[in-house]
Amino acid sequence: MHHSKRLALYHYWVAFAVFLPAVTLGVWQMLMRSPLPAPLDDTAAYYASVTLHGTAMAYVVTTFFIMGFGYAVAETSLGRPIRGMTAAWVGFVICLVGTLMAVAAIVSGQASVLYTFYPPLLASGWYYGGAFLLIAGSMIWVMLMILNMSAWKRDNPGRPVPLAMFAITATSLLWAWAASGVLLELAGILLPRAFGWSDLIDAALGRTLFSVTLHAIVYFWLMPAYIAFYTLLPQAAGGRLYSDTMGRLTFIMFLIFSLPVGMHHLLGDPEHGSGFKFVQSALTFLVALPTLLTVFSICASLEIAGRVRGGRGLLGWIPALPWDEPMVLAAGLSLMMLGPGGFGGLINMSYAMNSMIHNTSWVTAHFHLIFGGTVVIMYFAIAYEMWPRLTGKPLFSKRLARWQLWLWFWGILITTIPWHIAGLMGQPRRVAAFDYADPLVARMGPLVIISVIGGLILLVSAVLLVVILIRSHFGERAVGEPLRYALAVNPPARVPPALNGFALWNAILMVLMVVAYGYPIGQFFFLKQHSVPAVEVTSQFNPKGRQ
Amino acid sequence: MGRDQGPFKLDNPWPQIGWWSAAAVIGLSFVLGFVLLGRYQENGPTLDTWSAICRAIGLTSDSGAAGEPQPPLRTPTRIAWTRATLARVASGSEQSGAFVALNCGACHGERGVSPSTLVPTLAGMDPAVIYKQLDDYRSRKRLWGAMSAIAAVLTDQDSADVAAYFAARGDGLLPAGGESVPQSGRSLRQEDPTIRLVFAGDPRRGVPPCAACHGPGAQKLGAPSLQGQHAAYIERQLAAFAQGVRQNDINEQMRTIAAQLTPDEMHAVAVYYSAAGSLRTTRK
Repeated sequence: MHHSKRLALYHYWVAFAVFLPAVTLGVWQMLMRSPLPAPLDDTAAYYASVTLHGTAMAYVVTTFFIMGFGYAVAETSLGRPIRGMTAAWVGFVICLVGTLMAVAAIVSGQASVLYTFYPPLLASGWYYGGAFLLIAGSMIWVMLMILNMSAWKRDNPGRPVPLAMFAITATSLLWAWAASGVLLELAGILLPRAFGWSDLIDAALGRTLFSVTLHAIVYFWLMPAYIAFYTLLPQAAGGRLYSDTMGRLTFIMFLIFSLPVGMHHLLGDPEHGSGFKFVQSALTFLVALPTLLTVFSICASLEIAGRVRGGRGLLGWIPALPWDEPMVLAAGLSLMMLGPGGFGGLINMSYAMNSMIHNTSWVTAHFHLIFGGTVVIMYFAIAYEMWPRLTGKPLFSKRLARWQLWLWFWGILITTIPWHIAGLMGQPRRVAAFDYADPLVARMGPLVIISVIGGLILLVSAVLLVVILIRSHFGERAVGEPLRYALAVNPPARVPPALNGFALWNAILMVLMVVAYGYPIGQFFFLKQHSVPAVEVTSQFNPKGRQ
Repeated sequence: MGRDQGPFKLDNPWPQIGWWSAAAVIGLSFVLGFVLLGRYQENGPTLDTWSAICRAIGLTSDSGAAGEPQPPLRTPTRIAWTRATLARVASGSEQSGAFVALNCGACHGERGVSPSTLVPTLAGMDPAVIYKQLDDYRSRKRLWGAMSAIAAVLTDQDSADVAAYFAARGDGLLPAGGESVPQSGRSLRQEDPTIRLVFAGDPRRGVPPCAACHGPGAQKLGAPSLQGQHAAYIERQLAAFAQGVRQNDINEQMRTIAAQLTPDEMHAVAVYYSAAGSLRTTRK
């Protein structure tokens, strides 16, 4: 096996090996919250489980998957070996060690603070240290993506960087910007307190720093799905990409509009004035631009493919598409979930409407629909597309893959739609158990039971995914065709320098970040003191052990 | 990457588009958020521009409330759980504590196991709890018989020492943090209403589970272990919290919870915890 293929494959394996148990935990958590009896009926275990599920899904699965995807894209789209293989393996090991540290701390019950940390809750230093290593280790990947793109540009002056490479570099820059918030929070606030170097926790500053990460991280997760939409889907559908420039603009806009917007996660927080909340809410709405641009150009690309395949009439190109291809099917299902998911997001980010759903199950339902649905289903499609290329063995069964995608789609809808409704009825999130004898709570019971059923369908689908990947892994070797990226209808011969690199956009982003976050973060250093004693969830305090 | 692009050179179109649209977005959202929309309040008169900007930044421009008469400040306790406090508690010496404890034996029992049902057993109690209660007695945040006078003659270090002494005595209270393995009866589906109250609380009344702070299975800083405490003492403290006679719970949590409990529930919970301690002695 080629060395860099092994690199990508190792990353994918870690991601999917963590994915299956994390889904199982999710189903159990939903069962805990339902009127049905759950095994291990213990609220402390519930919070440990939520922390593990969130940390696994938000940091481990995504980061490893995207790093693996990035290495695969860098090599195949540039058509030459990756530079910095040793550094890449070092990064892999650092991330893996960080993951193991964090998981050990959570499993031992020392870190039930949920993956968003929630200071002044205080977990074990092992948990924060693990999270820090995982995120900081992925910065090696960021640097390698930038290095590989700039090296290619140096060797190919004047030629446009392939769209897939351009997009994955945008993803890595986005992640570097996004991670700065959580890394500063960990290094400056949480780790010093966990080690006992400081007395108090500045919870408000910590939350503000985390908000820099909290929204952009979602776009970091989303980017592989969009890269697949632009560069893999048109090829799998047998057509061409409608516009290469639209793709570049989309990824540039995602980079810019995902970052100075995180404060819409703090709309209920008292430490910030209404003005900055409004400005960031307004900026958040601009993310609709690249989203709508993508929906337009993907539909246009698919229409090209459908018409090439003989589709006629206004909508005749839709049935003419090759829906038996996992990539095409996943993209269709993904776009269907993007509709309601995106609509829900508009409600969350609206300053006034947010207060209706703040801290209710609506929010959890929303991010499961948009992330678990729209994004993760594309991860599956990417895995099905890439596995044969990485292992040199064909996909075990396209039919099973389609079953898996359909089960995931229905599982997500059945889980999240009742969940949204329960949230609108006022069901709070982050609550381990409900008293269904209460008439106000009792009417949510049936909805939660339906969600449990959806969760079980998701579990079946996740098992099926791992079965397909393992069976493919140990299948017969066959000569597969190399991964090809979609050509644009008008392949770019030259692109303006601004659409072939990120210096301009990083400079604009820097200005936007200073304007949007400069005062809200700066105020804590000269105006407001928000430090409070930490609430330790670490050692459950035993009198004899404390020195 | 991108040395050739000149992000600050405005002579080619993309930098112009980028910078102008960024400026337009910033300008528009700031005018809306800081000036125009920030003026309107749901339940108050429309603000002038300066107040609207201050409000948008998160500062209040008028300080009128400060001049008005304020109610007298009343704090439930002088203790905050800072690292300094915890270090002070941890510095307690058992040997010096044994000397200080000579004052306590008459009521709390020679080794901290109280013979009287209205006086709490101290043996095995978390030292931070004893330290805080002594300080509360000293500052008259908690009032009971002779305790304020006794605490008043103790120094901080004496309090820490005597706390360490009683914490280390055996045969008294069970440690709250033990037995973290989930047992049956930890959920709202539990049949016995007392066990349900202890382990799952009553969300309908906003009552959290007693065990979440007092054990078994968990402990929060400042919350005493109750397993093995005298039932009559627990019941009386719950009544004192409910009636507002005792007010030294830092976050008012015990006053809030106790006010929700019926006298029967107070009695049942007290008996449950008292018996939970004797289980240990029979098991041994």
